[in-house]
Amino acid sequence: MLKHLFATVMGVGLVWSVSASAADLNQFRGKTITYIVSTGPGGGYDTYGRLIARYLQKHLPGSRVVVRNVPGAGHIVGANTIYAAKPDGLTIGMFNTGLIYDQLIKRDGVLFDLSKFSWIGKAADDTRALMVSKTSPYKTIDDIIKAKAPIKFAAAGVGSAAYNDSKILADALHLNVQIIPGFTGNEGEMSMLRNEVMAEVGTAESMEQFVKQGHGFFALALSGDAKSLPGVPRARDYVKDEHGKRLLTLVEALSEIGRLTAGPPGIPAPVLAAEREALDAAMKDPDLLAEAKKLDLDIDPSSGAQVELRIKAALNQPPETVAALKSAAGG
Amino acid sequence: MHLDVAVSTLFGLLTTPRLLFLMIIAVPMGVFFGSTPGLGGKLGLVLLIPFVYNMDQLTGAVFLCAMHAVVHTGGSIPSILIGVPGDGPAAATALDGFAMTKKGEAGRALGASFGASSIGGLLGAMFLGLSLPILEPIILNFSPAEFFLLAILGITFIATLSGDAFIKGMIVGLFGLMCAFIGLDPSTGAPRFTFGQIWLWDGLSVIVAVLSMFAVPEMISLGVRGRAFDVSAETAARLEGATVPAETAVSPKVTYAQIFHGVRDVFQHKWLVFRCSLLVAAIGVIPGLGGDAAAWMAYGHTVQSSKHPERFGKGEVVGVIGAETGSCAKEAGSLLPTLFFGVPGSSGMAIMLGAFLMLGIQPGPTMLTEHIDIVWSLIWALVIANIICVIMLIAAGPWIGKLSSMKASFLIPYVLVFALLGCYLYGGNWQNLVLILGMGSLGYLFKRHDWPRAPFIIGVILGKIAEDSLQKAIGIFGAGFFLRPISLVLIAMIIASVAFYMWRQRRPNKASMPSHA
Repeated sequence: MLKHLFATVMGVGLVWSVSASAADLNQFRGKTITYIVSTGPGGGYDTYGRLIARYLQKHLPGSRVVVRNVPGAGHIVGANTIYAAKPDGLTIGMFNTGLIYDQLIKRDGVLFDLSKFSWIGKAADDTRALMVSKTSPYKTIDDIIKAKAPIKFAAAGVGSAAYNDSKILADALHLNVQIIPGFTGNEGEMSMLRNEVMAEVGTAESMEQFVKQGHGFFALALSGDAKSLPGVPRARDYVKDEHGKRLLTLVEALSEIGRLTAGPPGIPAPVLAAEREALDAAMKDPDLLAEAKKLDLDIDPSSGAQVELRIKAALNQPPETVAALKSAAGG
Repeated sequence: MHLDVAVSTLFGLLTTPRLLFLMIIAVPMGVFFGSTPGLGGKLGLVLLIPFVYNMDQLTGAVFLCAMHAVVHTGGSIPSILIGVPGDGPAAATALDGFAMTKKGEAGRALGASFGASSIGGLLGAMFLGLSLPILEPIILNFSPAEFFLLAILGITFIATLSGDAFIKGMIVGLFGLMCAFIGLDPSTGAPRFTFGQIWLWDGLSVIVAVLSMFAVPEMISLGVRGRAFDVSAETAARLEGATVPAETAVSPKVTYAQIFHGVRDVFQHKWLVFRCSLLVAAIGVIPGLGGDAAAWMAYGHTVQSSKHPERFGKGEVVGVIGAETGSCAKEAGSLLPTLFFGVPGSSGMAIMLGAFLMLGIQPGPTMLTEHIDIVWSLIWALVIANIICVIMLIAAGPWIGKLSSMKASFLIPYVLVFALLGCYLYGGNWQNLVLILGMGSLGYLFKRHDWPRAPFIIGVILGKIAEDSLQKAIGIFGAGFFLRPISLVLIAMIIASVAFYMWRQRRPNKASMPSHA
């Protein structure tokens, strides 16, 4: 009897839990979802965006997911567009986590609040690292910390995420550096080949090719996640003061939440749940994983709920950090 | 040298029906993406990449390279026939190409363009093939200091390209330079000339500049006149007597004879083609300057080295030859740094790099030692695609040429829609549409009052490179950056370029010499 009752309770519980977790994936049948990529065609964000869009479509039966490139102002325009869209789940998209910097310093043009986006999930880590040219006199991170003459770093334009990363690292580790801004795409690497600059801070993924070819090495990983860049020293172990640690926490958060998918605030819970579930399923899809492997893209997913917690934590910064960021942004 | 590899890979490509077939498919695709204003080769690559997922290394790479190689040749078609260039380099072709169409020489212009594209592509690839062993030191010796001086050299061409209207040309050129500074200052992050508009942070796009200086003014003036294009005095006289409705097309038909005349012109100017190919392949190979600058520098060189600089912009076939050689010779140039350093030489090549990685081609110095066969196959793919493209386009010439004799009432909306679409697709913001209408009206005023428009494009393209490189050069080398050996050579070239222009201005005008054409 007791056994029977137990089985019934278990059965009911199971049905309940299945119906609770399995959102209605069929609600997108016949609908078109626009997936906004905040850069132009080509490049990492576009590649990830197109891959995710194709597999979201597969896991939301009967839907059509189209990619729309909305470049401009270092992802701000794309994020603004997603934020202002109608919260029906039919407009979602991807932008750079570096926008956390822009929100913290209240940059002109920012019309969004990252804490209010409807987070659907993330596809991969976006580990930041310090890469040093093989031809430079610096062989380890200790050499760089001890350097007497300023070390020339290549970086993108002042105010860009890559520039802020460089500035924060230099500030947190008290490095003696001269940051030369204005390098876009792979120009910084070309400059390293010419022995003009010695190092740059960027996402490990974008610099991986250069390291593989033997032109440079990763001197420091700006991530708390031990899985990314195994064997490379962690920045955390070299930061001594509280101010540096706080700055680093921010960069680490950006490193660990990359390639995220978000929608405008206020997407109804059942719709958001369905999209989260579809993205989770897409991230486990063997076909997607095979394609990502071929494209040399890492897949290291997190759920929308986890991303939301991480973003909110990263936005919670003391005034000193914000002031440090503002000085980095030239403001 | 790898002469044996060079020969065997060429033989391999030509005797593999599958590869030839794929190249024959890829070429019309490239022409389509290149010739439709607003689509462009980059989008073509992005859309085609999924199709090469399951191809093997060589097949996939050859397919994409073949498509990419002919994008610019495709772009010359609307530039010549309707005066609507799709990108920066094509605008240089439009200057003389469209003027020739207006004189009734559309076929000759097309022939010259197709001939110059293929020969330019061929020579560009050959130069690079021959320079493989010394390529690395060449690439590595050009730094931001040299980029800055090369950009300044290009800017001095504004004077030559202004023709008789030196002051007007300078004003337009300086306006172009000023527009190049719209956006965020790379060294301070401060917005400049953005008027609180976030969409201006990324600056004025070259596409918008080109469409508004060329496409929109041509269509406005066409609409104002109410009939297809200016006609030469001869054709106009012939029309006087006939009872042809004003709107009917008047451009003479494009014939094979005209096209072959144009192709012959290319061979008559073989030294110019040789010089431009060498110049552009060299500029293209240096990552950081970009193809837009290369094509304009080739055009500038063509005008400067001509005995009749005053004829350019008015339908001089040599102008088409110079510009087209320029835009096609650079592709091989940007391919090589992509393969050897994994550092793309152009934005199209950046997308190509992603595709190479996906196909399992690992760019890097080992390409030269272990995978030299792939390098040569890709160089040959560029060459063969150019040749296939030219054969196809010459064969289709008379039909393509019909575009120039379309009714104005049909052509204007079609072109304006594509121009606006191109502009919107590029930035994805509606504000650019307002901008193109405003700047297009300005372009029309320039056109109507005979102010040269090319200096504006040069200013926009080179101004950005000049500023950016100057700041980097000072950051890297300090204020004495111009004392490097190559820099000193470039400074001497700049001085020579200006001095040559001034000397020619003082010389009595010999414009009355008979035309060589």
